[in-house]
Amino acid sequence: MKYYFLFAWRNLWRNKRRTLLATSSIFFAVTLTLLLAALNYGQDDDTMRMSVSLSTGYLQVQGNGYWEERSFDQSFELTDSLQRTLLRHPHITTVNPRIESVALVSRGAETRISPVIGIDPETEHAMTGLKKRVVRGTYLADTSRGILIAEGLAARLHLDVGDSVVLFSQGYQGTTAAQELTIAGILHFPIPKMNDAMVFLALPKAQEFFNAANRVTSIALMIDDPKEYRAVQSSLSRGLESQLVVMSWEEMLPEIVQAIALNDAGSVIIFSVFYVVIAFGVFGTVMMMTLERTREFGLLISLGMRRGKLLLVTTLEAILVSMIGAIAGLAVSIPIVLYFHHHPIHIWGELAKAYEAYGFEPIMSVNADASLFYSQTIIVFVIALVSSLYPLLFIRKIKPVSAIQGRGGIK
Amino acid sequence: MKLVITLVFLGSSVSVSQNAREILQKAIDVMYGKKTYTVITMTITKPTWNRTVSMKAWSIEPDYSIVYITEPARDKGSVTLKRKQEVWNWLPTIQKTIKIPPSMMLASWMGSDFTNDDLVRQSSVVEDYEHSLLGKERYEGYDCYKIQLIPKPEAGVVWGRIITWISEKEYMQLKEEFYDEDDNLVRTLLGSKPKNFDGHVIPSLVEMIPHNKPGNMTSFETKELDFDVVLSTEFFSLQNMTRIR
Repeated sequence: MKYYFLFAWRNLWRNKRRTLLATSSIFFAVTLTLLLAALNYGQDDDTMRMSVSLSTGYLQVQGNGYWEERSFDQSFELTDSLQRTLLRHPHITTVNPRIESVALVSRGAETRISPVIGIDPETEHAMTGLKKRVVRGTYLADTSRGILIAEGLAARLHLDVGDSVVLFSQGYQGTTAAQELTIAGILHFPIPKMNDAMVFLALPKAQEFFNAANRVTSIALMIDDPKEYRAVQSSLSRGLESQLVVMSWEEMLPEIVQAIALNDAGSVIIFSVFYVVIAFGVFGTVMMMTLERTREFGLLISLGMRRGKLLLVTTLEAILVSMIGAIAGLAVSIPIVLYFHHHPIHIWGELAKAYEAYGFEPIMSVNADASLFYSQTIIVFVIALVSSLYPLLFIRKIKPVSAIQGRGGIK
Repeated sequence: MKLVITLVFLGSSVSVSQNAREILQKAIDVMYGKKTYTVITMTITKPTWNRTVSMKAWSIEPDYSIVYITEPARDKGSVTLKRKQEVWNWLPTIQKTIKIPPSMMLASWMGSDFTNDDLVRQSSVVEDYEHSLLGKERYEGYDCYKIQLIPKPEAGVVWGRIITWISEKEYMQLKEEFYDEDDNLVRTLLGSKPKNFDGHVIPSLVEMIPHNKPGNMTSFETKELDFDVVLSTEFFSLQNMTRIR
């Protein structure tokens, strides 16, 4: 066996240019699919990370049933021990409590409905970058008694910074919540739905408004490793009181899950086309090389080499070529992928502006999961190997005389 | 023997002279009157909390009413004004009047199981439905007409059908079942504790049980009810809403 291996190895280097051609076609295939896949899955990561950080967080602690009912009946007390439990968790980076409801926003004869969210101003900014949305006036502080109001809503009610507006809603346990509040700042959101109706208050002020002292409706959580959200979710769920539940972004943002699934479905098609192109490329190279070696094969068989042994040697050659190509591809693409994973690609120009307008960072992330490397490499390796099996068919049918006489070897 | 005769007599007279619509109209006349003043205590029961709200209300059926909250102290002085299809709120703490926009009409009123829409809609049961007498049934010791209401196609009604039990003698609405369009029972209204107010015998306690929210209930207890109060539509103005005590 060792000799066949040696034989195959020497065959490879007998014609370096030929080997180089075969390996490089595999090398490029591996490199290209890897980079493409890393970018594609990186885009999924971006979509998920940005949507999550702008809205729900990776996880949310909520009262049991709040997600369906959206009522203060499922609100809960924000105790120090709960906050400590959350902050102590090794994976949790941000603990962002909110109290959320809907209120009538009224000035004069005009009345509109808007979501009203009580926030911890600094934490909210750290998570969603809310402070950057202020176009006029000032952002909130913990003790602020004013409100931030979305631009579109302010325009409809003819309001500006310093004006007062009536907020009317239902507080905790059916109480009437009604106050006249001053506008501290105007917010601009690129998403029209938010720009048309959104009001923010500092958390203590919101709790006072809703007669819900120290209560919140949700705690949004950000974690250091997005892939770990399920593990964090289940470990948290176990430690919480029974009336609390932990929801994941997948449960709260099904539209994002769908967007990612759609993107992946699209890339499956693109990748399939890509694999077919690779298969034909490698096959073409191998076929050319086999034809080039017709005389050699014919000679070996007439000299008494068993077809079986010849098959073994060519198979070994095919494996070696595929492996060299794949390893070279990995060797080149791993550093590239890792580099861009840690230094995301910055987008510039108009596209960057569009990204920023939506509150997204203008970057393209690159996914560097180990699974990505081996899945793509294995796929290309198998394609290469299957394509390189053409010589086996050829050798089985070869007629030595025809081969040596240069009549094609088969007839 | 006398009872049997009476029943037979009543029964025959019903089949001849009364249709479902008339029965319902009569029940509504008994229950609501034209111009009324009433003192009511509303109790909201939720799985985790209760709330009691007391109020005074003036109304000219079916289009006008004013509700003045007397308790709890926190909400004392809040006023809800219904004028035809509009609902307004007066908030004494901030001295402001707010009109409830159409999109909020389905929101809960004062934390109860009733919506703003229920306030506005109350009285169109005669006009917006086709009525049929399903028969007679004994309910809680009362002989009742069992009437089915199916909304007319053009009526903007959320219910698929309503079944109501009206006592034969007093024309009291003792029970009402509301079904959605898939014919699921959504809520039940139960009337009990009949009392005589101004010569009208009506159930002084009405309980509303929403079936999709276990553990929830809203009940109304009528403490005082005057029929034929002197009222004019000018009484139900935005200006008066802010002055009323």
